[in-house]
Amino acid sequence: MTPCVIAQEPLSNLDLDLDSLMAMDVQVTSAMKRAQSAFDTASSIYVLTKEQITRSGATSIPEALKMVPGLAVRQLDNNQWAITSRGVASRFSAKLLVMIDGQSFYTPKFAAVYWETLNVPLYDIERIEVIRGQGGLLWGSNANNGVINIITKNSIDTRGLHADISSGSQINHDANLRYGGDLGNKGSFRVYGHVRDGDESDKGIHLEPADFTEQHSAGARFDFTPSDEWSGLVQGNITESTLGQNFRGVIDETNRNVSFSGHLDRTDSRIMARIENRISDDANQMLQTSWLKQSGSQTFLQEDFSSFDVDYQMNFLYGDLKFDWGLNYRYNDILFAESSFVRSDGGYNTLEQYGALVQAQYTLIDNELDVILGAKIEHNDLTGWENQPLARLVWKLQPNQVLWTSISKSVRVPSLIEFNDDFTIDGQRVEEVSPITTGIDMIDKYYIKTYLNGNNNVKSEESVSYELGYRLSQGHWGLDVSLYHTEVSDVLAVEVDANAEQFLPIFALLQQGEIALAMQSLTTTSINFDLVSNAEVTTNGGDIILTWQPSDIFNAELGYSYNTFDDNLAENTFRAIGYDSTSRQLFAKSDIKIFEQHRLYALIRVENSDAYNVDNYTALDLTWQWAFHKNWSAAVIGKNLFAGSHIEYNNTRETYTIPNYIDESVTFKLTAKF
Amino acid sequence: MVLMLPFLLMLSQNAHAIDTEYALKAGFLYNFARYSEWTNSPTTLSRFSLCSPDSNFIDVASTVLKNRAVNNTPITTLTVSLTETDLNQCQVLFITSGTLTLWNNASLNELKNVMIVGETEDFIAQGGQIRFFLSGGKVRFEVSPEKLLSANITMSSKVLRLGRVMEQ
Repeated sequence: MTPCVIAQEPLSNLDLDLDSLMAMDVQVTSAMKRAQSAFDTASSIYVLTKEQITRSGATSIPEALKMVPGLAVRQLDNNQWAITSRGVASRFSAKLLVMIDGQSFYTPKFAAVYWETLNVPLYDIERIEVIRGQGGLLWGSNANNGVINIITKNSIDTRGLHADISSGSQINHDANLRYGGDLGNKGSFRVYGHVRDGDESDKGIHLEPADFTEQHSAGARFDFTPSDEWSGLVQGNITESTLGQNFRGVIDETNRNVSFSGHLDRTDSRIMARIENRISDDANQMLQTSWLKQSGSQTFLQEDFSSFDVDYQMNFLYGDLKFDWGLNYRYNDILFAESSFVRSDGGYNTLEQYGALVQAQYTLIDNELDVILGAKIEHNDLTGWENQPLARLVWKLQPNQVLWTSISKSVRVPSLIEFNDDFTIDGQRVEEVSPITTGIDMIDKYYIKTYLNGNNNVKSEESVSYELGYRLSQGHWGLDVSLYHTEVSDVLAVEVDANAEQFLPIFALLQQGEIALAMQSLTTTSINFDLVSNAEVTTNGGDIILTWQPSDIFNAELGYSYNTFDDNLAENTFRAIGYDSTSRQLFAKSDIKIFEQHRLYALIRVENSDAYNVDNYTALDLTWQWAFHKNWSAAVIGKNLFAGSHIEYNNTRETYTIPNYIDESVTFKLTAKF
Repeated sequence: MVLMLPFLLMLSQNAHAIDTEYALKAGFLYNFARYSEWTNSPTTLSRFSLCSPDSNFIDVASTVLKNRAVNNTPITTLTVSLTETDLNQCQVLFITSGTLTLWNNASLNELKNVMIVGETEDFIAQGGQIRFFLSGGKVRFEVSPEKLLSANITMSSKVLRLGRVMEQ
């Protein structure tokens, strides 16, 4: 297991372990929206292997992502998460493209991912590829800060029965069942189900925690291989969730945020089909179509979102040229019921996107120097045509050393809420916004109705990123270094329009002694916070990952990530998401097999950041697995050990969710495989 | 290192799909050999022979399997004619799609003690015991344990469960 640095070995050094052979593609052209060889990829990539995922004892995708150096994974409460890379994580805006087998989970309404309802059976994941930065921008929308591609196993590799059940201090029960088998001699299938009943957190910040989870999922995957030239897959999943949460909103004349405990009912369905065709030894093509439907309902918000995607890609080799091109089309249907605190300007119930990508990799010096040029051109209904070009260089200094560099421009299209919706937000006091105060508390401390207005003057954010990386694979050691400098313009900021003149008649009334009338006039005033695209952000940083695998029974990894964000804001504005901050992360992992049947996996994370309005914390995750029978194994999983009760995310200005304290947890798990 | 350089360059010039595919298949054959038992063979083989009538495949396989051994017996790779004399020295025989016609035209008695692997449809019906196929761009295999058994070969369940087992 060498998670991040797998050298593109010459054939004579091919890893002949059966597992590795089964994981390798026969053709370099068969890499569709995924990395071929992590070692000579010209972007900051990290591959989370299936071994890491199972040995870590992760019970959800976000928990698994905590293992990736350079990903900011912040837990709001027991079911909500804020995840990004090379940026400040937020619940509702991530600039991160998340895909399951190439199916995008981008929602144009929020640009958020509902991590809490993203059900993928962890035991059937082949690997998770994480690209930090703009390296995957050709793969789909919203990939400015990174891409997470969850690749599930071919059903031919998941034949048989898998069952597991977990219970512990924060999970009442979490159970998985999968059965897979052959379909004649031309195909295979698996069907699976998952139920989860999770507890509330132990401790809230303002309110008693309400963040329970009740979740049921079912899904299936079918793979067909009619011949060596053609293969296909169809898969689908449906997840029903009831998630408790604490949240806040303005619902009455106090114009203040009121805190609530409530629950959210969601149904998330997805289905996708893919046909792959090997045209020749040097060419492949792929057609993929997918459908996504997400419905959510809670006390003050109702939403229905569905999207339909078609993607076509062709990849071929011609002499020293590797050429990829593709076309994509996406149709989004968005229904968002009016509520007391969110209103839509209307007119955008459906959104279409279509575009093309092209990428050429040319070998300048055989086995030494490759140049890559690419572009993605896409049309969307909000900002029209956008183009995202990139240029990269891969220099294989030695068979075991690679230096790469990249320049790319990416575009982040505004989400619909930024473009088209208005929110009622926590009221501002007169004394905070008015040029003069009256000395009368009733007036000065009055909370004025305050709106955050999305509007169609919001532009696409443009970022230009310069990246440099180096990889070395030497004996038992691997080193992966990447550095970047990114400049983003037209960044979303919030401009305060206090509309000072509206107070003048009120002050006039006061001077006439008409306090009651003045108070009444105040109720008709409002303050507008307008979203504007005039900020600039410069981010710098990098990741260093050192791996050591001295033997088959032990491996270790050390990672360090540094990201700093520097805003340049116009007067009277503040950032919509994030602020000037620096985040540092340190990761240390060790995975050791003790005797024949035991395994110990440990991960220490040091999270040091002033971006989330919380204290720094260090957490240890420790998992002990005991394969006590050829079909059975047991595990004890400790999470967030020694971190104490801590808050991971407290940028409450940006969210509607009220976070809770995150506590250490212990889980027992029993797994059977037949 | 210097000695290896011309060799690497040679590989890179034609390191296209077919080489990778053959390299992977050679790796699979090596694992089939490692996890199988030739129940009727002399206990002391001086060498373990992997054979194919396809010299292109043997070129790739000899690179991939250089200095490898099966149960401490060094592997040799041999380009063979499809004659009983030639095949009697083989433990594993791989019939590529390019040499299938040769195989179908060869009039051979039933080969005992040889693992016969192919990569074309219906190869198991045509006298093979194992057949490679591709699924999602990756190599997978079908296997008939009964046919292996009648050639005096038993394959470990560790490998069998990775393949698609063909019932008679």
